[in-house]
Amino acid sequence: MSLLRQCLRRAYTSAAAGPGAARSSPLDTVRTTLLNNKNASASAPTGTSSGDRGSPRQTPPSSPSFYTTRAVFYDQVAQLERAISTANHALRRAQLLPLPAFARESLPSMQTVWKSKEEMTADFQTKMTLSRYRKVTKLLNELNEYYRIAETAGVADISQKIYSIVSLFESAKKDAYLARGKRKPVVLDAYGRSYTVGKRKTSSARVWMIPVQQPAPPAEDSKAKAAPIPMTTILVNNIPLNEFFPLPADRERITRPLKVAGLIGKYNVFAITRGGGTTGQSGALAHGISKGIVAHEPDLEVLFRKAKLTRRDPRMVERKKTGFAKARKRYTWVKR
Amino acid sequence: MSLPTLRPWLVAAKASSSSSRTASTRLACAARHQSTSASTARLESQADWEEFRAQKSRVRTLIDTFSEYGSTQTDESAFHLRDQLHKPARNATISALLAAGAHFGHASTRMNPNFMPYAYGTRAGITVIDLDSTLPLLRRAANVTRAVARAGGQILFIGTRPDLKHVVQKAAERLGPQGYYVGDRWLPGTLTNKREFFRGQNIEKVKVNPDLAIILNPTNNVNAIREFALENVPTIAIIDSNVDPRLVMYPVPANDENPRAAELIAGVLSIAGREGVALGQTDKIQQAVREERKSRQRLSWRSS
Repeated sequence: MSLLRQCLRRAYTSAAAGPGAARSSPLDTVRTTLLNNKNASASAPTGTSSGDRGSPRQTPPSSPSFYTTRAVFYDQVAQLERAISTANHALRRAQLLPLPAFARESLPSMQTVWKSKEEMTADFQTKMTLSRYRKVTKLLNELNEYYRIAETAGVADISQKIYSIVSLFESAKKDAYLARGKRKPVVLDAYGRSYTVGKRKTSSARVWMIPVQQPAPPAEDSKAKAAPIPMTTILVNNIPLNEFFPLPADRERITRPLKVAGLIGKYNVFAITRGGGTTGQSGALAHGISKGIVAHEPDLEVLFRKAKLTRRDPRMVERKKTGFAKARKRYTWVKR
Repeated sequence: MSLPTLRPWLVAAKASSSSSRTASTRLACAARHQSTSASTARLESQADWEEFRAQKSRVRTLIDTFSEYGSTQTDESAFHLRDQLHKPARNATISALLAAGAHFGHASTRMNPNFMPYAYGTRAGITVIDLDSTLPLLRRAANVTRAVARAGGQILFIGTRPDLKHVVQKAAERLGPQGYYVGDRWLPGTLTNKREFFRGQNIEKVKVNPDLAIILNPTNNVNAIREFALENVPTIAIIDSNVDPRLVMYPVPANDENPRAAELIAGVLSIAGREGVALGQTDKIQQAVREERKSRQRLSWRSS
């Protein structure tokens, strides 16, 4: 192809690319450039090399922040700032910014976990010192705030675009971090059984609970026989409850969660208890049964928490100390 | 939770002045200053959010409709301080330089004797810079920038203060692929120790030295200026009254502390650079046309 046609084509595309890029969503272009910066090296030399400066084989650096010697980092930061500015304008057009205090309070919390410094070092191709990391996370938090507003208000196009940028910097262990300190939810298996563990003192109880299958009531019977009282089985170490726990106090302790929930005839319980003595094992069993009931009926969680049934009793046997006969018992005081 | 107020400054003043105030009087006062807007309750459902946005857009539409019947000054025609960064002027004028405060120098006791030709005088212990000398020097610097950009040179903007970072970023953006910027600290040795700093890249293949350097705060970047001198890079800088103008090749005597003055000067230079880039492209096209014509002539001679 002739040189003239080449030059005209280049001039035409450079002129067309200017306004064209502005018409497509700026947040999309930000996202693609962020991804490109991550993958490409810092100064991939551009194609055009004119022989009128330096030696002909030298090409100019491609990144505008080349002379900072950390081009990838500064370019990424500039892109994030551009994304924040674009998101701000978009939310203003959608009448979501500035947000008054009462609307801001209605926003649900959307806490997120950013990548660690080491993970970001790979993304930015530069050693992430604490100050650089803080600068980046400050920008990301601002972007996350805009995402929160857009998501809550239901403007899907803006929130999706912001999320596509924010998700590039979210840690893979985000769910694990956010669920830290919270109880893992108990899932029922294929047969509808729950498996929970209860502990008290040094005893542990593994508890399986399955709802009792209700027999179908006879429809034709006009005498309307009273519904049969549902019978449940509670087996502990393959032994029925009344044989394993002869003391009524222990039995009361075990059936208390079912009584509080009003579900005495609803579940069959199978448990394996180990360690400790009768009190410990009965307490552990009660704890396991409470957790199992909450697994089957999540609405009862608040009630059980108020009744302190789901709380693992932290009281353990206190150790004996020197100078004492037992943990607290002092030796007889002698006057002389 | 306190009720939103119409005149919060009055409520604050009242609260601070009268300390002995019963709960009932305080409530009455708050009720008097209660907002007249529709609902300030929490937004629960999606419908609430839609209604909130609709209400805001209704108010906006009302304002926009009635704006047409008021003053002829619109958002486009009004003066905004941000325009100096985003829409700078092509030519600087003495009045614009004066408005930006570019004529304020540093303390007269600190004036560099070599700055004398560019100083107008002293007032209130401050050296006043002569803008009649600033303007032609700025124009000269703009011509240099335009010529370097036209020849396809790399132009580097340096502004290492937090308020100058966005100025140099925007200026470099205007020059397209020929514009570069340093908004944070210039690392000493970037040019003189380039093999170390650009270790991951092929130094032989990349042209590291810029063709022109424009520095907005030279007093903080003496390392950079020294490196440019060693590597034979022409420099333009904003020279204040406590600085020796011979530090750089093309000094522009002006106030280096004021971000507004820096925006003005960087704007003028970057627009000149942008013009140079466009001129360079048309030059290339014309050269290509000429070469095409020559090659056609050569072909016709050979065939005849």
